[in-house]
Amino acid sequence: SPTGDSWGIFTFLCAALCNLPALPALNCSEELGAGQSIQQTYDLTRYLEHQLRTLAGTYLNYLGPPFNEPDFNPPRMARAERVPSATVDLDLWRGLTDNARLAANYRAYSRLLCYLRVLDGQVGTAELRHRLAHFCASLQGLVLSIGGVMSSLGYPLPAGPAGPPAPPGAHAAPNDFLKKMDDFWLLKELQTWLWRSAKDFNRLKKKVPPAVVTLRLEARGF
Amino acid sequence: PLCVSPAADPAVISPQDPTLLIGSSLVATCTVSPDFPLKAEDLYWTLNGRRLPAASYAALGPSTLSVALARLNGSRQQSGDNLVCHSRDGGILAGSCLYVGLPPEKPVNITCWSKNMKDLTCKWAPGTEGETFLHTNYTLKYKRRWYGQDNTCQEYHTAGTYSCHIPKDLALFTPYEIWVEASNRLGVAVSDVVMLDILDVVTTDPPSDVHVSRVGDLEDQLSVRWSSPPALKDFLFQAKYQIQYRVEDSSEWKVVDDVGNQTSCRLAGLRPGTVYFVQVRCNPFSIYGSKKVGIWSDWSNPTAASTPRSERAAGGCDPKGGEQNTTLRRELKQFFGWVKKHAYGCSNLGIKLYDQWRVWLQKSHKTRNQVGKEP
Repeated sequence: SPTGDSWGIFTFLCAALCNLPALPALNCSEELGAGQSIQQTYDLTRYLEHQLRTLAGTYLNYLGPPFNEPDFNPPRMARAERVPSATVDLDLWRGLTDNARLAANYRAYSRLLCYLRVLDGQVGTAELRHRLAHFCASLQGLVLSIGGVMSSLGYPLPAGPAGPPAPPGAHAAPNDFLKKMDDFWLLKELQTWLWRSAKDFNRLKKKVPPAVVTLRLEARGF
Repeated sequence: PLCVSPAADPAVISPQDPTLLIGSSLVATCTVSPDFPLKAEDLYWTLNGRRLPAASYAALGPSTLSVALARLNGSRQQSGDNLVCHSRDGGILAGSCLYVGLPPEKPVNITCWSKNMKDLTCKWAPGTEGETFLHTNYTLKYKRRWYGQDNTCQEYHTAGTYSCHIPKDLALFTPYEIWVEASNRLGVAVSDVVMLDILDVVTTDPPSDVHVSRVGDLEDQLSVRWSSPPALKDFLFQAKYQIQYRVEDSSEWKVVDDVGNQTSCRLAGLRPGTVYFVQVRCNPFSIYGSKKVGIWSDWSNPTAASTPRSERAAGGCDPKGGEQNTTLRRELKQFFGWVKKHAYGCSNLGIKLYDQWRVWLQKSHKTRNQVGKEP
């Protein structure tokens, strides 16, 4: 890798120049890529949040009262721990590195997507299946978007779960009522995650652009 | 890794997730797990979120409370009624989903059609006028008469909720038997068998290349031309066509029925200086000499054109010419298509919204012209 004062000065100048609005001579479109895709990922989480509101409303009505009552707060059974939790200590959250922050999001949505897809196979009405399928497609887009951001920042994608995948019925609830509770908590966690991700990506938005420009120029072998 | 035994469920309900006929009665019991310090008098029941009267409870043991439900109505939701056993402070200890309903009735009104003799789509109606209250599964089955085994249709909901599509492996010149089985938790019902030959229910694509143009300077006529659907061109059939047209801001279609076998037609008696939407559809009757009438195709996408404006100034004229309007429309349609692909949250934008705006514009033009203007 190139070293030396002249290289450092050159990089610094390019970084400063690229932060100016319109610069046709220097092709900055790829360098600003990560910044743009963070913005897109942020927008996607807001869109999904909006979509989830309608989906959750419809689904909870399908489950019937008391699941669709606004103050419904059932016990979180031990089995519900399988769904990754978004709630985290505030100081811990603040101290997350960019890589850790992105990886937590990536892992969470990959798992949530899995559970949602299982739901899709079992649900009763055609309208619900349609909404679920649409939501899963958007959620898949979010996972890919986060992966894209991680790649453009040079971070490796988190590895999948260790070992062979569990057989389909392995974690199924033992009765229909407990399954309804699982579904309720799945939707709740999705809600919390989307709410948290908006804050995660807002934070990333402010931190990323200058560092990215330097990285990209080095990779180009100037 | 350390094996952690799962926390025991606080209580157990019996029966768990039963299926019942409407009007039947049920006695359910809630037994608290020995690990929990709760007694029968600390418990209460709710059904779909509503507390059940204490008069219907009975303590069957120190930690078992029962509830009697009489003459049950059909389930409030298809996912089952929620019968829940609570502790005194409202906490949920256990729940059971009650499926209360009726067995299905025979599906009826099976109608089928084949697109270009390549496939078969059938739709039907559920037998029950009211509800069964339970989720009901429908399976379409078919077999060749006199031989072959039963086949099951796989692709459902292609033409509405109660429909199925058979994409291949269909034989011509042989009758098929088709029926629908409905099943739910309480039973099965089978429709009557319908017998048909694929050739008798053929439909095709709408005519392609529909062009609508002016007839010289004639203010009240438009000429419509189209091509016969290409998919059936190798088969012996005669086609019948139908045209429908309407004025731009009206929802009343006029139908031209006696178009026969030609691929062009002239519309007359039209209003001058008006934009018209025109659609054409095709019926491939007499395929391979089949005597039966075929099935009408879908209408072609609407094509717009305008009649020339007469020289006399009509009241409330839109200053832009009719032809400019069609080019503008086309461009707008392309623009909206592009917007949909490239921007989030703009899904309401589209050519339909533009059309509605045009209707609104013409309406507000008319009122503006009526109010305070000299004749």
